[in-house]
Amino acid sequence: MLQGVNRKIGLILFLLSAGYLFMSYQLPTYPYIPVDADAIPKTLGWILVVLSIALFFTKDSDTEEQKAKRHIPKKDVKAIVGVFVLALIFISLLEIVGFVIMTALFIFTCSKFLGYKSNLVNAIVSICFPLFLYSIFVFLLNINLPQGVLPL
Amino acid sequence: MGAIEGILTGFEVALSLEGILFVLLGVFVGTFIGMLPGLGPISAIAIMIPITYGMNPTLALVMMAGVYYGAVFGGSTSSILLNAPGISGTVASSFDGYPMAQNGQAGKALAIAAIASFIGGTISVILLMAFAPMLSSVAISFGPPAYFALMLLGLTAIASLSEGSTIKALISAVIGFIVATIGIDPQTGTARYTFGSTNLLDGIDFLIIALGLFAIAEVGYLIINRFKKSATDGKQLGSLKLSKQDMKEIAGPSGRQSILGFVLGILPGAGATIASFISYISEKRIAKKPEQFGKGAVKGLAAPEASNNAATSGSFVPLLSLGIPGSGTTAVMLGAFLVLGVQPGPMLMGDNPEIFWGIIASMYIGNIFLLILNLPLIPYIARVLTVPRPLLISLVIVFSLIGVYAISFSTFDLYLLLAFGVIGFLMRMFAFPAPPFILAFILGGMMEQSFRQAMTSSNGDISIFFTNNISLVLIILSVLSFAFPIIKSVREKKKTA
Repeated sequence: MLQGVNRKIGLILFLLSAGYLFMSYQLPTYPYIPVDADAIPKTLGWILVVLSIALFFTKDSDTEEQKAKRHIPKKDVKAIVGVFVLALIFISLLEIVGFVIMTALFIFTCSKFLGYKSNLVNAIVSICFPLFLYSIFVFLLNINLPQGVLPL
Repeated sequence: MGAIEGILTGFEVALSLEGILFVLLGVFVGTFIGMLPGLGPISAIAIMIPITYGMNPTLALVMMAGVYYGAVFGGSTSSILLNAPGISGTVASSFDGYPMAQNGQAGKALAIAAIASFIGGTISVILLMAFAPMLSSVAISFGPPAYFALMLLGLTAIASLSEGSTIKALISAVIGFIVATIGIDPQTGTARYTFGSTNLLDGIDFLIIALGLFAIAEVGYLIINRFKKSATDGKQLGSLKLSKQDMKEIAGPSGRQSILGFVLGILPGAGATIASFISYISEKRIAKKPEQFGKGAVKGLAAPEASNNAATSGSFVPLLSLGIPGSGTTAVMLGAFLVLGVQPGPMLMGDNPEIFWGIIASMYIGNIFLLILNLPLIPYIARVLTVPRPLLISLVIVFSLIGVYAISFSTFDLYLLLAFGVIGFLMRMFAFPAPPFILAFILGGMMEQSFRQAMTSSNGDISIFFTNNISLVLIILSVLSFAFPIIKSVREKKKTA
C-alpha cells in the first residue's frame, strides 16, 4: 500500500493535516466576529487533507535527476549530520562562551571536518572573520552580539 | 512653486558638493549594510538615524534615501551569490540569480542586477516626480477588500512557480500559509499554535524561513558536492561581459517591470516583495522560453531586480505626499523625518520644497552612484564563490545564524532556523518547490488580515469583494492568472500524449 514516495509523503502530510485540524478546532471562538481566528486555519487544514489525499493517489513522476538527488551516499549523510551537530553545539554555547570564540571554533572545526586541508588559512579565516563581523556589529552599528567570556 | 521650478530647486540641492557627498555616503553605507547578514533597509535607516542628529534636514534626508535604495541593492548580493536572501524583496532575485552564479556567471548576474536596479530606480523616479501627488489618492482608495484581492493575485503565482507537480507546489504553499498562522492573532488576541512558548507569540520571522529554506537547505547540497571543483576560474566568474542579446533581454523586462514595481510600491503594505514576485511571474508568462526561468534566465533576474528598486521609490509616494508610511522601512524613514523636525505630508511640497524635490532629485544621482560604485566592485564580490567549499559552507552557516541572531537576539530562533533548513533540504529531496512556500508565508498573514477586516466591515457579507470595483477586477485577474498555466500545461500534456 505504501509503495512509492508520493504515497509515503501523502500519508505523512495527511497525519500532519489531521493534527493541525485537531488543534484548529481547539481554538477559542468569540461571538459577533464574522471571521474568527480559527476560520482560516480550519480552511487550510481541510485543503491540506484534500491535497495529501490527491498526492497519495498521484503516480510518482520524478525525473531521473530528481531520483538521483534522493540517493545520498552514507559518508555524505554522516557529513551532513556532523555539521548539523556542530551547528547545534554552536547555538547552545553561543551566549555562554561568546560570539568571537564560538564562531572561530565553529568555522575551524566545521571546515576541517568537511575536509579543508590548509590549517593556516583555516586558522586565519576563523579568527579574522568573527573579529571583523563583531567589530562592525558591536562598535560600528551598535548591535550587541554575545560577548561571553572575552572582555571585549 | 511649480513642478519644473521645484525640480530645479531639487537638483540645486542634490548637485551641490555637500548634496553629492551625502548621497554618495548614503548609497555606500546602505549597500554595505544591506550586504551584511540579517540587515536590510529597516536596520540600515534605523542605524543611521543617530548619525543625522544636528545635520541639515535636507542633506540628512537625502542621505537617508541613499541608504534606503543602497540597502535594497546590497541585499540582492547575498541572494544571488549564496542563495541567502536577507530581505523578502530579494527572494525572487535568487530564483535565477543563484543558478546563474552557480553556472560560473556570478559577475554577470551581479551586473544584470545592478543595471536592472538602475533602470528600475531611474524610471520610477521619473514616475515619482510626475505622478506623486495624484497616485497617493489612488493608494488610499485601496481598502481591505482590494488588498485581499491583490494578495490573492500575488498568491496565484504559485501555479507558475512550480516546475514539476502542481499538487506539490500547492502543498508547499498551504504549509507556508499554515506557518504564517503561528502566533498571536492580531484581531482577537488568540494565541495560535504557540504550544505555550512565548518565543512563538510574535510568529516566525521571515528571515528564519528564507535563510532556512534557501541558504541552510543549500548547505546540505553543498556538503554533498564539497569536493567538486568549480567549473570556472575566478576571472571568468567575476566577468561583467554582457552580450548585445543580454542587454536586449535586460531592457524589455526592466522597462515594463519598473512601471509595475512602482505602482505596486505605492500601495501601503504591498511593496517590494509582491512587486518582485508579480514581476517575475508576469515576465515568465510572456517569455518565449519560460522553461529557462529558474535555471539562470537573464529576464528572470532583471525583472524582480528592476521591480523591487522601482517599488522602493514608489513607497516614497504615500510617505512624501500623505505622510503615511506604507511599509516597515518607510515607517522608520518617517521616524527619521520627525527626528529632524520635518513633517512629511501634503504640506511638505509647499512648506519645504527643497526637501521634497531634493530627495527626488537625489534619487537620480543616487542611482547613478549606485551603478558607478557597484560595477567596479562586482569582480571582487563575485570571488566569494571561489572560496573552497568546506570553508564557504562554514561561512554561509555563520552568516545565516548571525543574520537571524542580529534581529531577534534569541537562540530559540536559531534552532528554528536549523529546523527550517532541514525542512528545506527534505523539500528539495522530494521535489517540493520552496518559492510557493515563502510566497504563501509572506502573503498569507496579510491576506488573512485583509480578508477578516473586509468581512468585519461588511458584517460578514462576502459580496463586498465583488461590489468593490478594484477588488472585483483583481479577483477576475487572479482566477485567470491561476487557471491559465494549469490549462496550458494540461493542453501541452495532451498534445505530447
